[in-house]
Amino acid sequence: MAEGSLIFISGGVRSGKSSFAERTAAELAKKTDGKLHYIASGKAYDPEMEARIQRHQDDREESGLSWTTWEQPSALEEISGSFNYQDIILFDCLTTLLNNELFRAEDGWKNRGFQDKLSSDILRAISEFRQRCRSLIVVSNEVLNEPIGENELVFAYAKILGTLHRNIIEMADEAYLVEAGIPIQMKGEPA
Amino acid sequence: MHFVTGGAFNGKSRWVKEFYQLDGTPHKWISAYHDEPAAELDHSLIILEGIEMMIREWAQAIELGEIRDKWREMLAKWLEWEKEDNNRKIVLIGSDISKGIVPMEAADRKWRDASGWAFQDAAAAADRVDLIWYGISQKIK
Repeated sequence: MAEGSLIFISGGVRSGKSSFAERTAAELAKKTDGKLHYIASGKAYDPEMEARIQRHQDDREESGLSWTTWEQPSALEEISGSFNYQDIILFDCLTTLLNNELFRAEDGWKNRGFQDKLSSDILRAISEFRQRCRSLIVVSNEVLNEPIGENELVFAYAKILGTLHRNIIEMADEAYLVEAGIPIQMKGEPA
Repeated sequence: MHFVTGGAFNGKSRWVKEFYQLDGTPHKWISAYHDEPAAELDHSLIILEGIEMMIREWAQAIELGEIRDKWREMLAKWLEWEKEDNNRKIVLIGSDISKGIVPMEAADRKWRDASGWAFQDAAAAADRVDLIWYGISQKIK
């Protein structure tokens, strides 16, 4: 079986990247009569986050499409076996997942070996999803255009995130940068 | 002169290495990330990485106006050097630090301002500018 398509979407906060990702997923589902899956990495630690998650859920419900939601704040690989060739998977988002993974590790993140393994585990999980599903859409954030500073954790985070983005885009069929709601196609043939 | 910019860890250096096929091309690579000062122009291809860190160091010692003058002088000197021989080229690589929230510390604000100007001047001086987004290049000049 051929592997599914991989689409990478990134943008700033409130750039409309999630809406664009949802529209893209919905179109793909319509075109291929596929099943929509939403993998959420966000955990509600406070009311603000709760409201944010709720708004995204409402948006998806209002769309009239039926989404299956998976809450997976870490360890993506745990669910990579759950999908098949009919599935259109939207994963939102990589930055939150990385955040959760680094905090979950307590002091472990300081270890270079841990960092490398974390990034290769995430990449492997993404490849596995892609192998099984029809389309995988990965959403992430633009956070690397400011001083990274001396903080070791922030530095490790930035480095891993940059590495993940580069590698995912290299594997991807399409990559988009969303600016103020407008998707700019950086890789792939325009649809 | 070629100026290459983009966010941190976006693969700028990797892109330059591939673009100029540095594995098989004699060159000198000077990195401000390893505290290497911009040194002698003794190769015909010189790559200077981490401009923003060099500017940061200057910003700790001198005022904004002086930084800009000093940087423009350097750019002018490099352009002169390039002009003397058609095979000569300077490649400048700088990480974009301009799109975050205004830094709390005055020193960081100064650094950010100085880098922004330095990048504008570098882009103006260069005959080619590339913006790198996770390994994908966009030629913007």
